[in-house]
Amino acid sequence: MSLLTVLYVLLFYAAAVIFVVGLGRKIWQFATVPAPLKIPTTPAPTTRGGVALRIAREVALFESLFKSNRWIWVFAVLFHAGLLLVVVRHLRYFTEPVWGVVTLAQPFGIYGGMAMVVGLLGLWARRAVVDRVRYISSPSDHLMLALLVAIGATGLGMKYVLHTDIVQIKAFTLGLLYFDWRPLPGDPLLLLHLGLVALLMIVFPFSKLLHAPGVFFSPSRNMVDNPRETRHVAPWAAPLDAARDR
Amino acid sequence: MMRLTGGLLLVGLALGAVPVSAGDGVPLPTPARGKGTQCVEPTDTMRRYHMDYLLHQRDETVHRGIRGTKYALKDCVECHATPDPRPEVRALTLYGFCKECHDYAAVSIDCFGCHTPVSASSEGGSQ
Ligand code: HEC
Ligand code: HEC
Ligand code: HEC
Repeated sequence: MSLLTVLYVLLFYAAAVIFVVGLGRKIWQFATVPAPLKIPTTPAPTTRGGVALRIAREVALFESLFKSNRWIWVFAVLFHAGLLLVVVRHLRYFTEPVWGVVTLAQPFGIYGGMAMVVGLLGLWARRAVVDRVRYISSPSDHLMLALLVAIGATGLGMKYVLHTDIVQIKAFTLGLLYFDWRPLPGDPLLLLHLGLVALLMIVFPFSKLLHAPGVFFSPSRNMVDNPRETRHVAPWAAPLDAARDR
Repeated sequence: MMRLTGGLLLVGLALGAVPVSAGDGVPLPTPARGKGTQCVEPTDTMRRYHMDYLLHQRDETVHRGIRGTKYALKDCVECHATPDPRPEVRALTLYGFCKECHDYAAVSIDCFGCHTPVSASSEGGSQ
């Protein structure tokens, strides 16, 4: 096996461990950190079912963003919906035999890739053009967008300009899953694409991209608006509360 | 067990949808070797670019009337036809060869709705 293959195999195992463990730790933290106050953004649902629906709308439709800024919403949806299609297209590398829906979704995955990059460029332009957003943009905001654009661009580059050996790259990814390592084709765009994806997996648990799991734990979204019906006492505050009542 | 661990490790990569199927080692497509010593381009290049050659040649033919170059589909048939995978079809066709990789890579092509995949050298073959 070539040095290149060994390097990428190790890189992906390391990236996967950092991604899973890092994300797990963060989710644990989000789930256990105290939420002392009842602070749903009103108007808010008054039942748990209503809250579940609200979060579902937030995750699937970006409801609050829609209400606050239509332009950002358009680009955000282009990016995220595009990303979803791209992920489905990429499932062909992880499944053998390939699932029927994944085969049917192949062409849409390509359009998804284009939509994704357009959405990202729109979001990036906003950081450059809108004064008040430019003022609060930090280097990490730009670097994150650059990383995602570069991943999309190298992917589309392989589809349309410098092809790679798809059969061999699928064998490589299956090899990672099966612990039966296969050579990685040495095409530059592919190496760049995969390197950037590994980098994304590595920085994910330390980056603003944590908003993905984070949205589920946001107190202003996931709380029921029932402060009059039931008194809200955070678990850690319960003993103090009981002591005071005595 | 090893394979299971591998699957778990990459759970993030495949967004929780890692299917770890049975069988030993990585499944690979095995397209039959073509006739002759080599393809119309080096094998590595064919693996990456055969679609571009075919689609470009199609445009050349359909729009500009240029025929009979080395990327003609009927030449692929002559070197790459194999016994058809469907038992009721008793002819040498391109299906098996092209399908071998295309199923693996989730590629669907509609070329043989119009073009014949049947080799002239097989019985009942027509152009
Ligand atoms: C002169 C006979 C000949 C013609 C014509 C020909 N091929 Fe080939 N092709 C071969 C041979 C022989 C090989 C295997 C070479 C090797 O194993 O290195 C091959 C290999 C290939 C491969 C790679 C298969 C693999 O094992 O990965 C592809 C794809 C391919 N050919 C497609 C085509 C297409 C498409 C056409 C029509 C434009 C075509 N070939 C025309 C003889 C031919
Ligand atoms: C070595 C494996 C292999 C063989 C053999 C092979 N192909 Fe392909 N072919 C591919 C891969 C992989 C792709 C998809 C590349 C991608 O997804 O960007 C593809 C894509 C195509 C496309 C473009 C499809 C699209 O919608 O973009 C055409 C056309 C095509 N192949 C024709 C053929 C024909 C005709 C044959 C049989 C003569 C053949 N191929 C044999 C691997 C192969
Ligand atoms: C709607 C019917 C139709 C479909 C589907 C179709 N073709 Fe064609 N193709 C034609 C016609 C008609 C010609 C012109 C033949 C001529 O005038 O010589 C042609 C010509 C070509 C040629 C040049 C002729 C030669 O062999 O030198 C190539 C290569 C070709 N097609 C490849 C493809 C491929 C690859 C696909 C699948 C992605 C495909 N075609 C799908 C109708 C079709």
